[in-house]
Amino acid sequence: MKSNPVAYGLLVIGLLCVVAAVLYALGVLQFLASTSGVHYKHAILFAVLAVACFIGFNFTRVRTV
Amino acid sequence: MTFLQALFMGLLQGASELFPVSSLGHAVLVPSLLRWSFKQSDPSFVPFLVLLHLGTATALLVLYRDQWVVIIRGFFTAAFAGQIRTDPERLAMLLLVGTIPAAILGVFLESRIKSLFASPYEAAAFLIVNGVLMLGFEVIRRRRERRAKADAAADTGAEREEGFASAERISFPAAAVVGACQALAFLPGISRSGVTIGGGLLAGLRHEEAARFSFLLATPTILGAGLLEVPQLFSGGVPVGEYIVSAVLAGLAAYASARFLLRYFRSGRLDPYGWYCIAAGVASLALLALNL
Repeated sequence: MKSNPVAYGLLVIGLLCVVAAVLYALGVLQFLASTSGVHYKHAILFAVLAVACFIGFNFTRVRTV
Repeated sequence: MTFLQALFMGLLQGASELFPVSSLGHAVLVPSLLRWSFKQSDPSFVPFLVLLHLGTATALLVLYRDQWVVIIRGFFTAAFAGQIRTDPERLAMLLLVGTIPAAILGVFLESRIKSLFASPYEAAAFLIVNGVLMLGFEVIRRRRERRAKADAAADTGAEREEGFASAERISFPAAAVVGACQALAFLPGISRSGVTIGGGLLAGLRHEEAARFSFLLATPTILGAGLLEVPQLFSGGVPVGEYIVSAVLAGLAAYASARFLLRYFRSGRLDPYGWYCIAAGVASLALLALNL
């Protein structure tokens, strides 16, 4: 499925995931975490989700050439 | 936990992780029935489980080493090209799509669910549910076979499977659903491989291919879960040497059980494991209730 709106939506979600990964890694974000502190598992998860979104972006964007 | 108990638990976990009978359910039930004093919910037990999981994941990596080389190469080729041209590339993307729901649910829900349902009674009850699920998957599958048989008569196990697809042909939504089903295995008694093999069957895969997809899908999930907990190994008072021996035993048992299951599912079904789970669950409930 090639669609630029979907592709750029995935790109934005991917960037948000990068931000979330950094915030979890720094211990700033505590959302859905059972304890306070640095949540490296959450950080890794969001980093993986970001990579998946960027792959999705590459799959769905319409190529001009 | 004594060294012999650790060895036994390693063997039990390795052997039952890939069989559709729930390793977690057995790991909760067996020590309780044998009246061993250690508890799965104890924080000191986590490093032990980490190493057992790494042992199992290593066994799966060794078993599918050639396929993983092709899958990883296919993953990078497809990711950079932005398109899928070959079966390994498709399989790599299917595994990515299948792993993401399990990873999200695992990070956010695993510890909460496990702490809610950690008692042997619940494990025995879920083992019965797991058995009913296995039988249910096969009932649905037999209906589809009967429908397919209207076009092509097939009597033997191998012929019966011919009308169904290989792992590479599963759809992306189905791969995501099968992957998400792995989260059901956080309930002690529900088998990860059981629900993923069953999901694969419902998605139209052959039994052997459903098992292969299940094992391939399990590898990053088990390996990831294990690697994320590695820092726990360096907490004080952990007998790493004893645990490593148990992990090697778990890996050997997992390798042997995977080889057995792949051969079994060329013509076999989930039914025996379903009946086993129901019988084991009922017997465990009776033993626990009677305090025997």
